[in-house]
Amino acid sequence: MPNVTRRNFLKVGAAGTAAAVLAGCSQEGERWVTLEPYVTAPEEQLAGIPNWYASTCRQCPAGCGIIVKIMNGRATKIEGNPEHPANRGKLCARGQAGLQLLYNPDRVTGAVQQSERGERKYKPIHWNEAINTLYERVKTAGPAVAVWTGSSTSAHLSDLFTRFTAAIEAPPPIRYDLYSGLNGYAVLAAANQSLFERAVLPAYDLSHADAIFSFGADFLGTWLSSTSYGVEFGNFRSQPYGKRGFLAQFEPKMSITGAKADRWIPVRPGAEALVAQALVKIIAEEGLGSPERVERAKALAGEVNIEDAAAACEMSPEELVVLAKAFAAADHPLAIPGSSVTGQPNALAATAAIQALNVIAGTTGQPGGMTLTPDLPVADLKIPPVSTFADAQQLIERMKAGEIKVLLVHGANPAYDLPPETGIIDALNAVEDVFSFNPMVDETAAHATFILPDRVYLEGWGYEVVQPGFQGLPMISSQQPVVPPLYDIHSTGDVLLAAVKGIPKAAEALPWADEVEFIKEMITQLPEGALGGEDNEVRWARYLQHGGWWPETMPAEAAPQTTAEPIEVSATTYQGDEEEFPYFLHLYLPVLLSDGSGANAPWLQGSPDPLTTISWQSWVEINPVTAKKLDLDNGTLVKIESPYGEVEVPVFIFPAIRPDTIALPLGQGHSDYGRYARKRGSHPLKLIGVQTDESGNNLAWANVRVKISKTDEKKALARLESSIPVEEGDHLPF
Amino acid sequence: MAENNTTHKWTMIVDLDKCTGCQACVVACHAENNVPIASEDQVIAGRGLHWIRIERYWEGEYPDVKAKFLPVFCQQCNEAPCEPVCPVYASHHSEQENINIQTYNRCVGTRYCGNNCPYRVRLFNYYPPKWDEPLEQQFNPDVTVRGPGVMEKCTFCIQRIRRVREVANAEDRPIEDGEIQPACAQACPTTALVFGDKYDEESLVSKMLPHERQFKLLESLGTEPAVYYLKGGETHVGE
Repeated sequence: MPNVTRRNFLKVGAAGTAAAVLAGCSQEGERWVTLEPYVTAPEEQLAGIPNWYASTCRQCPAGCGIIVKIMNGRATKIEGNPEHPANRGKLCARGQAGLQLLYNPDRVTGAVQQSERGERKYKPIHWNEAINTLYERVKTAGPAVAVWTGSSTSAHLSDLFTRFTAAIEAPPPIRYDLYSGLNGYAVLAAANQSLFERAVLPAYDLSHADAIFSFGADFLGTWLSSTSYGVEFGNFRSQPYGKRGFLAQFEPKMSITGAKADRWIPVRPGAEALVAQALVKIIAEEGLGSPERVERAKALAGEVNIEDAAAACEMSPEELVVLAKAFAAADHPLAIPGSSVTGQPNALAATAAIQALNVIAGTTGQPGGMTLTPDLPVADLKIPPVSTFADAQQLIERMKAGEIKVLLVHGANPAYDLPPETGIIDALNAVEDVFSFNPMVDETAAHATFILPDRVYLEGWGYEVVQPGFQGLPMISSQQPVVPPLYDIHSTGDVLLAAVKGIPKAAEALPWADEVEFIKEMITQLPEGALGGEDNEVRWARYLQHGGWWPETMPAEAAPQTTAEPIEVSATTYQGDEEEFPYFLHLYLPVLLSDGSGANAPWLQGSPDPLTTISWQSWVEINPVTAKKLDLDNGTLVKIESPYGEVEVPVFIFPAIRPDTIALPLGQGHSDYGRYARKRGSHPLKLIGVQTDESGNNLAWANVRVKISKTDEKKALARLESSIPVEEGDHLPF
Repeated sequence: MAENNTTHKWTMIVDLDKCTGCQACVVACHAENNVPIASEDQVIAGRGLHWIRIERYWEGEYPDVKAKFLPVFCQQCNEAPCEPVCPVYASHHSEQENINIQTYNRCVGTRYCGNNCPYRVRLFNYYPPKWDEPLEQQFNPDVTVRGPGVMEKCTFCIQRIRRVREVANAEDRPIEDGEIQPACAQACPTTALVFGDKYDEESLVSKMLPHERQFKLLESLGTEPAVYYLKGGETHVGE
């Protein structure tokens, strides 16, 4: 073994110069650490003086750059990387809480085997045995192997898995989880494909916009990249044009983005696209804005009844004209299609109809406009494509039919991320061997035969091809270990590379000794970029030190090109009979727990939800008028039933929701996933069926109807706000 | 070696037009200051522990309803009501930093200060703080963990102020504006929180103040807070 010190393992300190780094970068196998006592402490380790290492956040797929403060080998604080062009030094609550994933008391501390599925009794096995078993089972299964990854699985691992499945002639990995599903990644990409011929996520330059029309996009909460949009929103309100800007939010239940809007418009669920189309038609017919905008609006206007659209927003047609005028007359207007739009049966056309407003604005690719995430200049560094719900469903059917012998699960929790109606648990149990690579026993791992826990992102290698690409930039965020692994845990990349050595075709496709060699080979293909560097070693060092790679200016491909065609949106349909199920169900990803992946962190469980101030619990939000009609009070336990299932939750009376709609946050209702998550609240996906949208891209989760029945029980709400109401007529001084 | 021993007037500006209530500051504060998390039962009993909390107010009725966020933390009053009532001088004023200091190992837990604070930002440790192993590995060694029976509150991240001063002294230079960022301001995605020294005429806070939208919490009490709030705005169209 070469002389390797702790310093080489950690690679690059924020204070380290490139030259100092290079000394340690010349040998193979350099990633392994030799533990030395602190009598011969590494030179940069001084008691009380922290070291900072740049890496990538994995708490959601946005790929924000982070810097982690290390005090004497312990990670004590995560902050945003000030140099990173996406989050620009800022970091959300979930990103901060990454430390409680690293130091979570319920992590799996080594490879384990489970003989009875779902029994949750695990027998520790040696890693050699684990890797050998993986090799044997995969070899025996031949092409009957499937890989299920999530949107937060490192892009390098997605790439390795894709090469692996291609080599053994299995279908490509599924990349689907609750976050990408609820936020409609596949729909957004498909809509951009149909409009602009590029299947990538859009980025909106709020910083330079002056009118934003958001159709259910909670971009300050959990939509795509909330930290970066937070930065953008701060710039938007900094009055770049000497005015505050105008934000209109169309959504049935107020999100935190709705709370910050100048106009919150409680649109009927499923009518968002209708409103967008009405705006287009009004711009065309009334000749609002510049002649070019009117021309484009005429070309794009479809058939729509303006009075219906206004009624769906609970406003008069005249008010809708005022809004259309505000959009058309703005210098830099933006329209954003949000998650509830992408969960409708007409998701694809509805999303395109909203994007059409950006085409009319004519600011795409310009300051204050929309850009499409550009590709990196290296073919090997692709944005990992997100799977459609239909793809996921197809795999589930194959699993149920016994066509899959071995399933590898990484970074996703299908048993929690999908409605039980899909039969996912039965499907998992029908697979001979399920290997879970998740660092904790989640609902999927509970039904796995083996858990080969991956290192959490603060102790492992990787990279993220960032999307959406803010400021029109292609970006790659670097991920490096900031602390030595806490336990005897092998990274999934290395486990895979070792296991396939005995399978000739796969071994040929995956020739790397370990994942670091692979990552370095990929990354050093990048040209100079904004950080510069004469040769590969310097570029690699700078890439790690500064947290990634990005060019200085926006490439031309970020500016979308389109030929305008009228967009026809069919009226949405609802699941559940209107008589029997009188209320619309609105599900949302809460700011703190998000898709449920945050439920294992006490900081996220114990911090209050912004609008309800509730922590630790599930709740249902009901309009005061509806609550009065049904004789419900804060804390009354109610049964919510849909055609597919039921949940029991306490009521929170919420003034900013339509009376015909009830809202439930996701994130709770875990049966596993550690002590902080387990047996806490309800999982509203039980209320959702398996219907997909017309294009098969997404689960149709936003068009379900429900009924409410009162129970005799009450539950005390763990809310931070006082339960004593503010006096009526009190005016707040701010 | 320079002596940055001049007095400071540490000041926070909270722009309510930008605060989205996202809780990034809350979690950043828990991480930086080793603030324990209250259990569900404790929250129900009204004993939630956060040095910074986002209050949410409703205004109006559906459909013209508004939600407004107000981040509240220790206002670092110049005339702090918590100080004169402490029998053991655990709550006292720092002449150099011009902030209100809580000396944890002097506190005997009378809770007079919490009772006298009109902002309800002083928190009492009713129970021994608990972290399941190995969560305590995350502790910030610059900040002590408070035991049961002790009052605690926001310190404007005094440990960060001190660290920057020591570095500046060693490098023989004055403290630069923006160099000191409390964890909350550092995390805030929208930059709703701006921190600086009001005695430094070139600092951002000095340049921002006085501001046409500024106000202070419960100004009429004469506590002279060091926290300035900027009123949120509203853009109307078609009027």
